[in-house]
Amino acid sequence: MDYLKLDSVRKSTTPLQLDVVEAYARGKLSRRAFIQRATILGLSGAAISTVIIACGGSSSSSAPASAAASAGASAGASASAAASAGAAGGTIRVACQRPGGPLDPVAMVDLASYGITAQSFEFLCTLAPNASDIAPGLAEKWSSNDALTVWTFNLRQGVTWHDGTPFTAKDVVATMERLVTAGNSGLKGVIDKGSTVATDDNTVTFTLLGANGNFPYLVSVFNAQTLITPEAYVSGTTLDKVPAGTGAWKLDSYDIASGAKFSRNDKWWGGQTLLDGSEFIFFDDTGSMVTAYQGGSVDALVQFDVLTGAPLFDDPNFTVVETPTTNHRQIWMRCDKGQFVDKRVRQALALTFDRPALIEQLFKGKAIVANDHVIAPFYPYFSDTVTQRVQDIDKAKALLADAGVTNLKATLNYGQLSEIPDLAVLLQSQAAQAGITLTPAGMDNGAFYGAQWCPAAPADPPCSGAAELGIVDYGHRATPDVFLNSAFKSKGVWNSSQYSSAPFDDAFKAFQSAVGVDAQKAACANIEQILNDDVPVGIPYFYNYLSGNAKTFTGVYTCALGQMFLSAASKVA
Amino acid sequence: MTRYLSRRLLLSLITLWLLATIVFVITNVLPSDVGRTILGPFAPQESVDAMNQRLGTDRALIVQYADMLRRLVTLDFGQSFVSQQDVLPQILGAVGRSAKLAGLALLITIPISIVAGLYAGRRRDSKRDRAIVLLGVTSSSIPEFITGTILVVVVGVQLKLLPVLATPPANADILTQVRYLLMPATAMAIVYFGYIARMTRSGTIDVLQSDYTRTATMKGLTTSQTMRRHVLRNALIPTVAVIAVQIGYLFGGIIAVEKIFNYNGMGATMLFAAQHKDLPMLTAGVIVIGIVYMLATLGSDLITAWMNPRIRLDA
Repeated sequence: MDYLKLDSVRKSTTPLQLDVVEAYARGKLSRRAFIQRATILGLSGAAISTVIIACGGSSSSSAPASAAASAGASAGASASAAASAGAAGGTIRVACQRPGGPLDPVAMVDLASYGITAQSFEFLCTLAPNASDIAPGLAEKWSSNDALTVWTFNLRQGVTWHDGTPFTAKDVVATMERLVTAGNSGLKGVIDKGSTVATDDNTVTFTLLGANGNFPYLVSVFNAQTLITPEAYVSGTTLDKVPAGTGAWKLDSYDIASGAKFSRNDKWWGGQTLLDGSEFIFFDDTGSMVTAYQGGSVDALVQFDVLTGAPLFDDPNFTVVETPTTNHRQIWMRCDKGQFVDKRVRQALALTFDRPALIEQLFKGKAIVANDHVIAPFYPYFSDTVTQRVQDIDKAKALLADAGVTNLKATLNYGQLSEIPDLAVLLQSQAAQAGITLTPAGMDNGAFYGAQWCPAAPADPPCSGAAELGIVDYGHRATPDVFLNSAFKSKGVWNSSQYSSAPFDDAFKAFQSAVGVDAQKAACANIEQILNDDVPVGIPYFYNYLSGNAKTFTGVYTCALGQMFLSAASKVA
Repeated sequence: MTRYLSRRLLLSLITLWLLATIVFVITNVLPSDVGRTILGPFAPQESVDAMNQRLGTDRALIVQYADMLRRLVTLDFGQSFVSQQDVLPQILGAVGRSAKLAGLALLITIPISIVAGLYAGRRRDSKRDRAIVLLGVTSSSIPEFITGTILVVVVGVQLKLLPVLATPPANADILTQVRYLLMPATAMAIVYFGYIARMTRSGTIDVLQSDYTRTATMKGLTTSQTMRRHVLRNALIPTVAVIAVQIGYLFGGIIAVEKIFNYNGMGATMLFAAQHKDLPMLTAGVIVIGIVYMLATLGSDLITAWMNPRIRLDA
């Protein structure tokens, strides 16, 4: 331990930052968790590197996010940050799912729209090249008050929109106001109208409704709707109708039936990209994407599943990127009415899950077991104090008997997406062992969200028109705030189980306002225990995100929320 | 002829009106909020109301129906609920792409299957006839998506001879476009080979057994003269009718083939519109396909009349 170096950082940190530094120095945090937490709290990249070195580590390979952060002007997404030894010129052809509708950056709900809009628009905090952490995007740096209730973001200067007009704090304020009005993002309950204020042209202050130590993640790539759009945009303005952006790529054409084409933004603040452009080709299924790659018609796949993408693992000319994520499926059960009101019934259904078997059959092992809560094991504040739920048919039967339930029959609703239809069938057979009769009912995924998961009416509380039982997909989030705030908090915007629990709401509040690693872990232990016991949703696994590209291209990296970043991509020389 | 054409035109208009009415009734039979469908479950109600007002979907159904008919007369299909762009250019684009694919498929299959059918009909019950019949039955029994998949795997993935996606690059020349469309067109042509060849064979056999063919032979015409002057025209009459129906079907889009080759023709466009409750796009698609069917059958009738003067269009 080099205390001299460590002290130099200690002297310049805020109390919150110091807590993270001390936690790392005392071995309470892994290096990755330290980098993640320190970045959130606005500790500079140089300081992060210094701490790691002082504690006996090597900063060069371990702190990609912080390296980008320290560069200030060159953030995680910058062309120069990862400009590999590639050749200039060319176009990359990317296979992705077909978007669900017009490219409305505020109202979008599907990963394909996330991916397309993120080519032109940018976030305050972007994705670090390690594809796990955040890095400065349109915000160069950020900081909070000690109570974590006020966050200040210093915006990058010299950034312009594609039409040449300057990007200012007014754009950020207008974007946040639209997001608050729409209510379709993880910001609901975190900020309200008037919470975002432009202190000057390059500074924005967020006064939160409550303390939140993860707020930078909520205005980052991990909260996909928080793309910064022009002040002139209004509710309903779509990227395809009004092309705009500050990002590396300008939208040239968009046809929902076939694809989207982008060309280089020569005036991008991150520098000149090596590629001339990109072409996103829309598909309706992964199998066709894989075939298109094999036939040489596409160069990269934004996402594929392990079963249909099996040939790609053996292809020597293809780079598979496998990222452990918090991607998961929630098997929601209505807690307010119907057959699952009694938590013993919900527990019984969760006890029928044979999680290792699901992982093997659906993901060939490329997933990890989950414990019916959203705190994934690789979150730095994960607590291992809650006993893992395993399949126990006898116990499930006993719980059903205690609850006085016999011949439980329910329709298991789901959208036709990835492995979910197969999951529904497997759950049906596993539940049958305990005498529970599930009838899988699949439908087009685009229609599913509005018909079964979260119908628009009745609007209050949100999702109160949801089906009794169903499976819904959740994308990766670098912090669990969006999951907790939207799916479990009382009246949460995606709360399809209509779960309402004062102890949970209190525990979530405690997590958001927790200062320091120990306090966050303690809060998470409480959350895990409550969710595992109440089981408003069953969560059998967190699966790895799979994407990849032909080895003829380099510098491609993908967020597990469906955004493929190409600003540092190039053809291999 | 003029009277016949007038009558056909009138019937066509009635059919189109019926088509439009059926689509309207079907898509409005269940209560739905178009604005909500477009903007999604999280859009504020005021935005949904504004969208419904803009689209006119907040009006009484009878008013919407009358408005739809009025706009159909001028081929104004309105805006797509999904893309929020004018429907007509999108439908015409899809029709154009389907026309290319269907045209190439017909270009491949018509000459081959007619020649094969005539050849088999002339050599009825020979080994070659049986071979052609067997080939026809087999090819029409295998669905397009099977032949399409096999072509993709063998020709596209393994041999890498042709692109596995059917959409050519923008501004591609005609040869490049043909190259991209060759595999899906072949998959479709294989199926229609069986139908057309068998129909031609059957027509040929019938005509060869007819009195006027026997008379022609007895009066000393050579086989080729008989075939050219008497058999060919008459034998192809049922074939023309079959081809006309197939044209409409092909334009309507072979969804499976379009999906396999990721081609955005009428089939994929209509499927997408149906999945997303895009009523204007769906209505336009049905009307356009209806028009294609009518034109194809009208063309078939005219050709038939030209081929066989005994058929009186005015009768």
